[in-house]
Amino acid sequence: MKAITANRLLDGEVVFWKAGQWVDAFGDAQLFDNDDAAVEAAVATGKGQPTVVVDVYPIDLTPSEGHWAPVSYRERIRALGPTNEPTHGKQAEGGEAIDALRHAAGAARSTGRVDLIRRK
Amino acid sequence: MYQYDAIDREFLVDRSNEFRGQVQRRLAGELTEDQFKPLRLMNGLYLQLHAYMLRVAIPYGSLNPAQMRRLAWIARTYDKGYGHMTTRQNIQFNWVKLKDAPDILDALAQVDLHAIQTSGNCIRNTTSDPYAGATAEEVDDPRVWCEVIRQWSTLHPEFSYLPRKFKIAVTASARDRTAAKVHDIGLMLRRARDGSLGFEVIVGGGQGRTPHVGPTIKEHLPVGRLLSYLEAVLRVYNRHGRRDNIYKARIKILVAALGAEEFGRQVEEEWAKIDAARADLPDTELARIRGAFAATPFETLPAVSEPFEAARAASPALQRFVRNNVKPHKKPGYAIVEISLKAQGQTPGDATADQLDVVADLAERYGLNDVRVTHAQNLVLPHVKLDDLPAVHAALAAADLATANIDLASDIIACPGLDYCALANARAIGVAQDIAAKFADEDRAETVGELKIKISGCINACGHHHVAHIGILGVDKKGEEFYQLSLGGSGAEDASIGKILGPALPADKVAGAIDTLVEAYLGLRNGEERFLDTYRRVGLEPFKEAVYVQAD
Repeated sequence: MKAITANRLLDGEVVFWKAGQWVDAFGDAQLFDNDDAAVEAAVATGKGQPTVVVDVYPIDLTPSEGHWAPVSYRERIRALGPTNEPTHGKQAEGGEAIDALRHAAGAARSTGRVDLIRRK
Repeated sequence: MYQYDAIDREFLVDRSNEFRGQVQRRLAGELTEDQFKPLRLMNGLYLQLHAYMLRVAIPYGSLNPAQMRRLAWIARTYDKGYGHMTTRQNIQFNWVKLKDAPDILDALAQVDLHAIQTSGNCIRNTTSDPYAGATAEEVDDPRVWCEVIRQWSTLHPEFSYLPRKFKIAVTASARDRTAAKVHDIGLMLRRARDGSLGFEVIVGGGQGRTPHVGPTIKEHLPVGRLLSYLEAVLRVYNRHGRRDNIYKARIKILVAALGAEEFGRQVEEEWAKIDAARADLPDTELARIRGAFAATPFETLPAVSEPFEAARAASPALQRFVRNNVKPHKKPGYAIVEISLKAQGQTPGDATADQLDVVADLAERYGLNDVRVTHAQNLVLPHVKLDDLPAVHAALAAADLATANIDLASDIIACPGLDYCALANARAIGVAQDIAAKFADEDRAETVGELKIKISGCINACGHHHVAHIGILGVDKKGEEFYQLSLGGSGAEDASIGKILGPALPADKVAGAIDTLVEAYLGLRNGEERFLDTYRRVGLEPFKEAVYVQAD
């Protein structure tokens, strides 16, 4: 399973792709079930919106407590906010989807961001 | 402190307006991200994990109360109510929006602050001694020379596109509080036997993935020749520094490849070609800058303060604070007060807007309008009367700013790590908090004594882990956060690079391992010997055994 993420140009906020829109909450992100062509098409659309978002890329997901969570710890921190300030960032809203992200286990950084190695 | 004149102010306003236009063009799609990124970086604006981060320069770590209050106001208005002191005497705001950045630069410019030289491959903000102008150890005021370098290097056309970033430190004390030997250039002011002032010039120190303690290439550079000599060093580096590989682009790689002697020879050759009359600072200009720092209005006071002695006798908390955070001042009746930003549970180096306001008020009321930030992520009130120490201590305690742990095990340097930084592989803040908790017992922390623990969340080493007594480097090992420990580093005058202790440890084992190292040290030390000195005497093995035998 994959999702697509970026940072919003105007404020740097972490955003996720949802059917042609960018949404703030990871819980609202569109999930791509092994449909690489659809992922590529959505990433291409996102990259075609340079005044809306920057740094568009797909991330790998893993099941967690009946929800989905990014495999990469780095991506979970992006989806939650900093661990030293539990009231800052997206995690402030709380709820089941946030808890599932918090409890997910796995990679720190090396995996999960699908296109980490960029070829020019 | 140095006062901006009309030209300085006009320059900052122009710069801010220029950036406002660049942001507008980016938002309108007239600039691509690739075109815009170097422009925003030249104004200290990074894109991190959760938001933009603005790094504001605090030239040579010196602030006045109006500037401090403005930083507090920015933290409140544009951030989440706090700022983060960096390991290079800057302050970072973690939650900045691109659309607000030009307004923030305007607000900074109104109090003579800016974000120039906090990013990019230019000469960065110069590091200096946070005790400058206050310590009896110094042979001259290093801020004068930092200000000279600031004015010379700001937007220097020849040195704005160097192979890589370039960091200079200036200290005038034998005790180095600037980590001069691990800067691209470390300048150590010394007085020669004939009384003349000169710089010992150290070039090619650095941290990151290739740490080096810099070699000395000139023992005594007459101070009046500083700028021409810097020009020669930078010119040799600009010409021969590697631009083909970002990991080999710093001057330390060039100096190591050529050897210090050959590098020094090339600098001398280049220096000889430079027209000194053009390149060196005229005496009149030096006198103007020096004048700005000479006017600290000290009073003539007795060396002993009765009110202070009485308060101290009555307060164990004040005694502990004085033992650890108060340092001798050059003027009788005054003291240097360090303010730790390393309270239990605090993010190392973070200060809330309210705390910044408290420190600004104290500087105004009791501190001759002077505040410093240190590369160890703490604050300093450099000029406090002994008479006022009890009141200052009480006010700090009320703001949770009186933690008495300077240079103790809980005074940990930590970079923002994976909680904020786009480059990090692992978190640093949580590990620092876990270790600090092991030394929450203040008596134990004092028994252990000076112990500099420093944590970086990646090999770029913003947390100075290479030059820590105990260094901790976060690594990503098969997708988990692991931490590599190293021992025996120092960023001070006795600079050295730490040696790796053994295999990296998982996050939940780090604080316990530090505890084990400390217990091993307490069993090994002779008398009052520091951790670093014990390590240097006994070597790595006893510590390695203690940690890895227990870890199994």
